[in-house]
Amino acid sequence: MEVPSRKPTHAPWLDLRAHKIIDPVERLRFLRQEMQGLEAEEGPRPRERFRLPERGLLYAGVVCVMGVLAALWPSGTTQASVGNPPTRKAAPKTPPDLDRAGLAKPAAKVWQVDRSESLETYSNGLRIDLTFRVSHHARDRYPVFPLNGSSTAVRYGTAPVGIVFHTTESQVAPFDEDQNQRLKRLGRNLLEVIRQNRSYHYIIDRFGRVYRVVEESDIANHSGNSVWADASGIYVNLNSSFLAVAFEAQTGATEEVTAAQVAAARMLTEMLRSRYSISAADCVTHAQVSVNPDNMHIGAHTDWASAFPFAALGLPDNYSAPPASLYAFGFEYDSAFLNRIGERWKGLNAADSQMAAEAGSEGLPVARYRGILQHRYKDILGTMKIWEQQAEGGG
Amino acid sequence: MKSSHASPALGLDVGTSRIVVARPQGANQDAPAYESQLNAFVSIPYSKITAAALDREKVPHTLGAQEIIVHGNESEKFAGLLNAEIRRPMNRGVLDPKEPDSLKMIREILVRMLGASTPESGKKVCFTVPAAPLGAEDSLTYHEATLKQMLTELGYEPASINEGLAVVYGELESSNYTGIGISCGGGLCNVCLAYLSVPVISFSIPKAGDYIDLSAAQVTGERANRIRLAKEDSFHFNGFFADKVQQVISVYYDDMILTLVSALKNAFAATSNLPKFNRPIPIVLSGGTALPAGFRERFEKLLWEQDFPIKVSEIRLAENPLYSTAKGALTCALSDL
Repeated sequence: MEVPSRKPTHAPWLDLRAHKIIDPVERLRFLRQEMQGLEAEEGPRPRERFRLPERGLLYAGVVCVMGVLAALWPSGTTQASVGNPPTRKAAPKTPPDLDRAGLAKPAAKVWQVDRSESLETYSNGLRIDLTFRVSHHARDRYPVFPLNGSSTAVRYGTAPVGIVFHTTESQVAPFDEDQNQRLKRLGRNLLEVIRQNRSYHYIIDRFGRVYRVVEESDIANHSGNSVWADASGIYVNLNSSFLAVAFEAQTGATEEVTAAQVAAARMLTEMLRSRYSISAADCVTHAQVSVNPDNMHIGAHTDWASAFPFAALGLPDNYSAPPASLYAFGFEYDSAFLNRIGERWKGLNAADSQMAAEAGSEGLPVARYRGILQHRYKDILGTMKIWEQQAEGGG
Repeated sequence: MKSSHASPALGLDVGTSRIVVARPQGANQDAPAYESQLNAFVSIPYSKITAAALDREKVPHTLGAQEIIVHGNESEKFAGLLNAEIRRPMNRGVLDPKEPDSLKMIREILVRMLGASTPESGKKVCFTVPAAPLGAEDSLTYHEATLKQMLTELGYEPASINEGLAVVYGELESSNYTGIGISCGGGLCNVCLAYLSVPVISFSIPKAGDYIDLSAAQVTGERANRIRLAKEDSFHFNGFFADKVQQVISVYYDDMILTLVSALKNAFAATSNLPKFNRPIPIVLSGGTALPAGFRERFEKLLWEQDFPIKVSEIRLAENPLYSTAKGALTCALSDL
């Protein structure tokens, strides 16, 4: 039985504000107007309304302010201690993403052209199959941590801020015409599993068909222990803050991804970037964000550890971005990881240099400074565990 | 004929068995004034003496060529006197296509209750419409459009509201209009789950008061109208029944409640779009069919026996079950001003 329903925007803050209105008619008027306003936005979450359309300008402003503050700060050395990481040098911890061409450019406008029960069509040619979509825990707000110092969130986000690209690492068949039935069967079985596990928001099958699985308004189980940062702050455990796009693919297989998948991924990325004002700097691969808190190494998952077609998707080479897990939280990598990724990411060098420079400016050995950063991560991780339990419990 | 008493807005519950109008009383919008009329009529043979007697007693009626039609609350008395079944302009929540006089009668009742809008009176009227029955095509367009046209012709600015949502607006202010409103009326049970005033799921089931009356009438050989009076006057859920009629009524009441509870469970379980609730939500029961003592407890017991997919904070009876839908419609109309 399919019951007609509509999903209103999740707005717990309105609940609190409305309770302050005593008159029942006024309260109803307030709620109806606010909820209508939120629904009219169709897509971007409520707090997005206050977001600057030119996100690059915001980044530039943040960087300028941080630079000025750093210049004005007294030049004496701050005594660092475990649990209280150095906060003096704010500017160096700004990800150097903005130095790379194109990252601050806003995404081109893409809009929805048509929608039916089973299909959405977009102005750039993107077609999204809705037949496997499923809901999960609604995305409530998620914490964003400062680039420096504190383990306390500086603000809370409500809209997806980036995209994590995955491979499904599922069984794949040769991409040949005589394998058509098998390709279709494998794709369908994969979708059933992904749907059941609420693993990703989108799947792009071997034929380049885009399926929405977990609703964009909900959380998908795609990047458990993970870290990324942009000029706005650090995001920890990206299930809440990033959307997940998975290619039906197996790393190392012949024809790892098809041309149709890449073309579809480009259109999907354009649409998501347009809808949520996502910066190109926040479109990254699972391997870039995945961490292992047990051994404090990056690369717990290594899907798209190399050869991600950034350029074909209209994105700059984000492998050259320093992973925040390294420079902000002191994670490490080993030779096994380097073997896995093949060509060394430029971002690893950038992060290593940044770490060394910051440790030097604090007058600390790198190992000691790394320990401080790792302690900060453990603090934040503790906060995140509580946060995630509350979110899953509906609290 | 009533006037609108300069009400800024009106709430109108157009139910299968009753029509209720809610008007704000002075500054106290929490306690509106209500007027209720049976949404029914009975025709009696025309005679000058009868017409004069009805005029003298101020009984609302309409004169036809061969008959006198008594409508509203008085129709029940005349039906009893004449041992005739009352007729209804509506069936299962909407205008009855088999009743030739449905439009004329409902217009008569509305005119007597509302009067025409005047320049000094309010013009906004929010009237209730049922939700589509589960699994059925939406057949409500004609009903809604006809009522809208009638009210427009009377000079009002009509707007419709789903009946279950009206219960939410009338009763669930304390939870910021989040929760489940259920109106158990004559023709239908209407259900609406709302989140912060926004209707998420609305549906109806065609088992309600009339179903109990007609089913019990078939088993007992009584007139459905007598069953209804017995049901409203003395029925209660306590396990002991004075006579067969009461026992039969209890059987069909149970059937109705079980159907309602199952429909609730199935509808919510089948919906992938449920919002995330920060806390358990309330369920409020309203409507004339929810009035018998023990109804709430019976509903609660049957609901707890189900694996209901939403956490429920409480199940309560509306403060005034007969009027809560009209109250919610009025609140909606006022919030539109």
